[in-house]
Amino acid sequence: MGILNRTRALWLAASACAPAAAAAAEWELALDLRAVSSDGRESFLDNGQGKLRFDEDHQGIQLGRFRAAWNQPLGEVFSAHVEASTWDDDDKNPIDLTEAYLEYRPYPRAGLKTRVRLGAFYPPMSLESRALGWETPYTITPSAISSWIGEEIRTVGLEGQVDWLGTRLGHSFDLQLSAAVFAWNDPAGTMLALHGFALHDRQTTLFGRVGAPQSDPGSAKKELFHEIDDRPGYYVGAQARYLDRAVLNVLHYDNRADPTVEDPEIRDFAWLTKFDAVALRLESGNGWTAILQALDGVTYIAPGGYWLEWKFDSQSALISRREGAHMLALRYDEFNVLFMGDPSISNSEDGNAWALAYSYEPGTRWRFALEWLRVESDVPARVELLGEPAFATESKLEFSARYSLSGSF
Amino acid sequence: MSRCVQIRFRRVNAAGFVLLALSCGIQVQAGSLTVSVKQRNARPLVGAVITLETPALPAAPPVAAVMDQVNLAFVPDVLVIPLHSRVQFPNSDVVSHQVYSFSSARQFQLPLYRGKPYPPVAFDQPGVVTLGCNIHDNMLAYIVVTGAPYFGRTGADGEWTAPSLPPGKYSLRVWHPLLNEPQEVEHVVESNAEHDRIDLQLERELRPAPLMGRPRSWEY
Repeated sequence: MGILNRTRALWLAASACAPAAAAAAEWELALDLRAVSSDGRESFLDNGQGKLRFDEDHQGIQLGRFRAAWNQPLGEVFSAHVEASTWDDDDKNPIDLTEAYLEYRPYPRAGLKTRVRLGAFYPPMSLESRALGWETPYTITPSAISSWIGEEIRTVGLEGQVDWLGTRLGHSFDLQLSAAVFAWNDPAGTMLALHGFALHDRQTTLFGRVGAPQSDPGSAKKELFHEIDDRPGYYVGAQARYLDRAVLNVLHYDNRADPTVEDPEIRDFAWLTKFDAVALRLESGNGWTAILQALDGVTYIAPGGYWLEWKFDSQSALISRREGAHMLALRYDEFNVLFMGDPSISNSEDGNAWALAYSYEPGTRWRFALEWLRVESDVPARVELLGEPAFATESKLEFSARYSLSGSF
Repeated sequence: MSRCVQIRFRRVNAAGFVLLALSCGIQVQAGSLTVSVKQRNARPLVGAVITLETPALPAAPPVAAVMDQVNLAFVPDVLVIPLHSRVQFPNSDVVSHQVYSFSSARQFQLPLYRGKPYPPVAFDQPGVVTLGCNIHDNMLAYIVVTGAPYFGRTGADGEWTAPSLPPGKYSLRVWHPLLNEPQEVEHVVESNAEHDRIDLQLERELRPAPLMGRPRSWEY
């Protein structure tokens, strides 16, 4: 039997064993280029106390994001999803993963839909980050809340969701319950203490860190997806939808970290971080959208058994108007971090931000957006660490051109 | 000859008392019956499913119908078919779909993968079958399976005209996905007339429609 025949026999055998039909694998590539004008202070990505991703030293043409996504069906009800991105900054890896998970999605039965995810993914809490790649379609820069989630939070674990599909049963409501257990997110909270909230669209990658290497050799390495204390965390969430026109989402998150435990490898503690998040999205059906979000939480570390506590909260209100391929959005954010210990340690902050954005998405491939963003923040640490004034107003005008390609095999 | 049609209301269920007969008696062509349905705000109710049943006549003969998938939407959004009809789901999209129904009238699960034709689905029980896609949660359509000899959907003017009807007692039903808690409302039409018209107006507002038409780059 020649090689050709053997190959053919193997192929025939493989074909016979393969399922009768298979769903197509789908891929996406998106390149997002920016033109930036910014008067931002040295960015938090470069170990500064600036609130913007692109500071005064990062103007002109910049890479917004290059993103590659893959969705691989595995039989009929299982699939694998991988999201890889590069942000062109001083991260550890030139390209890295933001999400990677297996999904089990059986057909709905008796009005109930179940979904199980295993891997690394975002918790179901942002009603704003609804576009592919966990991006917001309304602005270039997401709210302070979503920016923080993208920076510090990722579920690395197992999540179950059950949906009651009321609208498919003749009612006007759908309901969803979610619950997850997770690990490998113990450093979450570090960034709030290091630089507070920031407003940016850069998501921390699973094997990367937040921007440039740590300049202070005694400080945390800014790597967030590590398990330090071998204690799993959990979240529970619920969502109610009225004909998709009004969506209310609540989430309670607790990483159950033991804040006395330290990981010398990344020079960081297990930060005990708990928060509640609530979001409401209203859509009129003729182009108007309003999104209200609120986050309220606390994070602790206990070096040598001495507990340090930071409270944090943020609120955001967005209104947008979509007319065909055009969209205009205005958003206001407030954010606060309050260090509860020694008041001489300047680890608190107080700030707000306005964003105004216009975007144009003429088809499936191009999206153009122009955003003006202004952040005011009062950060006493600027005085001690950098010798700068505590109060800063930073603003940025940013143009984005994104080209996306997708296909299937 | 203009003639008034006697209409009585029969309440099918608690939520179903939504139709209000307004007037009748405008001449149409011989033997036909025109049904006009208006919303509460007097605008025509487009795409409402009208069925006319009578014990004297069997269901219309079964047909071979098509419910396609185009640009992540079912086409048409509502399909009315006689009992025992078969429906083909061809999938004109490049992406895969997984069509399902858990409606009591017909439960099925149908993976639609590109380049792979699937046998049609038979519908042997009357009722409304709600269709969804297990991959694309926003996709929604209805198949109305009817034992009526006469049926159709109202056009842009909110009207539908039945062909020549034999004399007899007919039961007229109006169904629309946005009627409150999409349920059927029954009227009894006694008709031995040749030229009939029924004007109906909803007593209550339609439900707001689910949001459709998001950009493709939005996940949910």
